[in-house]
Amino acid sequence: MRGASLKLWGITKRFRNVVAVDNLNLEVDRGEFIVLLGPSGCGKTTTLRIIAGLETPDEGRVYIDGVDVTDLEPGERDVAMVFQDYALYPHMTVYENIAFPLVVRASKLRLTKKDIEERVLRVAKMLRIDDLLDRKPTQLSGGQQQRVALARALVREPKIWLMDEPLSNLDALVRLQVRAELKKLQKDLGITTVYVTHDQVEALSLADRVAVMNKGRILQVGSPSEVYDDPKHIFVATFVGIPPMNLLECRVSDVIECPGFKRKLPGEYFKGLSKLYIGIRPEHIEIVSKEEGDFEGVVYVVEPLGSEYIVNVLVDSTLIKVKTAKELTLHSGEKVYLKIDWRKAIAFDPATELSLGKIPITVYSQS
Amino acid sequence: MRRKVLKTILINLIVWILALAWTLPYIGIVAISVMPYREVIIKGWLRIPDVNSLTIKNYIEALNNPLYDLATGYKNSLIVASISTLIPLIGAALAAYAFSNLDFRLKPLLFGLILVIMMVPQQLTVVPLFFLYRNLGLYNTVQGIILLHSAWGIAWITFFLRNYFKFLPRSLIEAARVDGASDFRIFSRIVLPLSIPGLMAAALLQFTWVWNDLFYALIFLVSRENQVVTQKVVMLKGEYHIDWGLLAAGSIISMSMPVILYAVFNKYFMRGIAAWGVKR
Repeated sequence: MRGASLKLWGITKRFRNVVAVDNLNLEVDRGEFIVLLGPSGCGKTTTLRIIAGLETPDEGRVYIDGVDVTDLEPGERDVAMVFQDYALYPHMTVYENIAFPLVVRASKLRLTKKDIEERVLRVAKMLRIDDLLDRKPTQLSGGQQQRVALARALVREPKIWLMDEPLSNLDALVRLQVRAELKKLQKDLGITTVYVTHDQVEALSLADRVAVMNKGRILQVGSPSEVYDDPKHIFVATFVGIPPMNLLECRVSDVIECPGFKRKLPGEYFKGLSKLYIGIRPEHIEIVSKEEGDFEGVVYVVEPLGSEYIVNVLVDSTLIKVKTAKELTLHSGEKVYLKIDWRKAIAFDPATELSLGKIPITVYSQS
Repeated sequence: MRRKVLKTILINLIVWILALAWTLPYIGIVAISVMPYREVIIKGWLRIPDVNSLTIKNYIEALNNPLYDLATGYKNSLIVASISTLIPLIGAALAAYAFSNLDFRLKPLLFGLILVIMMVPQQLTVVPLFFLYRNLGLYNTVQGIILLHSAWGIAWITFFLRNYFKFLPRSLIEAARVDGASDFRIFSRIVLPLSIPGLMAAALLQFTWVWNDLFYALIFLVSRENQVVTQKVVMLKGEYHIDWGLLAAGSIISMSMPVILYAVFNKYFMRGIAAWGVKR
């Protein structure tokens, strides 16, 4: 396996008064594909640039394979980076672009012209751009440029692959295709990869683990299913998922009072809280008959998405999104009954915004 | 509709008149330079020259008569302008790379210094420079004037190229850095090739500036064999007698180089002017 392990320890980076990265800790295993996911300005790109060595952290250390590389130049870290705009050298041919990382190290790695040529050809073949080697980057399509950028990052077999939103400039269809290829390539080569994106679909489909970031902090690191099914933070719950998780604001006393329904609360749960959020994904709410329903609401609007529908239901004054694959003939203003899959519901503390875990069965099984 | 047509005609008319007024002196000079002296004096200069009496005598006279010797001046100008372009271009490109891509402690101060140098009027420096040059033995030498023009050039070209380099996509330089390229390699393999239009524009502006200089040349070059073409043209005009044809021919010879450069590279001139506003 080629990949190296990576460890970020207590990384903080400030730009003037703005804290871009705030005491960030992250460990990445050999060969792992990790995605930093977050909205723009959350510090994910800065984190990537710190790993690359293009930014120096104000505090904290970066370790690659256990070696502290914090003070090393980017070129000495043996990492390769794919930029959002690909950063292909416009005055060089595709061949020269791919060969560049080898040419600048030729004497250090004792490479002859022939060695370089062999390696460039091998990578170019692997990425199916070997027929484009004489062209200039401007003569290539977006997908081809993307491949050249990947080839340039691959050719010297780096320890870590860094990618800064590499698919965001591609057409939707090409993006799907390249995404699948990228994942296959990474798995085949086993290169440790840190990938930055704001696109959650990309993150969930590519990653071994996703690190969700906001305001310079990592809020949760976990497998795509963990992040999706068991968000540890309200931000994660509402950022991941299309549409995001519904949050029902509930008042807590000896009963729990949510929009549309009320439950008695056995003494030991949610002590000391006056309010909490119940988070439930739109696909875990069902539209059912009156008898089966937990509570009722009024259809606000229906959004058909081809294979499924998003039904917006107004419950008291809260808008709840329900995702269903069922053929529906609902109209605005119609009364509907909703049933929540309680095993999937999660409680959040409004003060700390952290998850309180699943809703206890004694709460939701009452009739 | 009719008003629109009228407006177009009017604008065209004005522009053509302006263009004619602007070019008339040049046309006049060309005409005079190929007419015999007699004709200029008797028949006047503003007319289409008589084909039978066309002559290049004035050009030959201006270039070769040891009294004026524009040929030597032209050669000197070529040497001075070429080297005075090359030296600051190389120096300034290196400095501009440092200013645009490296972090060092005195950067703001040094950059401020460059701006100050650009703002100093040349006339202000002449007296101290004269004494400095005399003491250093650089007075009345071609090397001396080259040094002088290079020094002025390096300041503005550094400023100009730094701005140009700043506009190159940052990710290209960062990509090269991650790929393991040294600063010098990034400079020579990435930044320079991508800045050819900027380098050309700077070179052309500097070359033309040095070529057209008369002020420094008059002060620092005194002996005949060192003088540049702009000085030689002045000598074509006698104290009591002016041979208009000779003077016109000399002027055309002197401006031939900038005109040729402009004709060939006018794309770069435009770009340079656009990037620069007004040079000095």
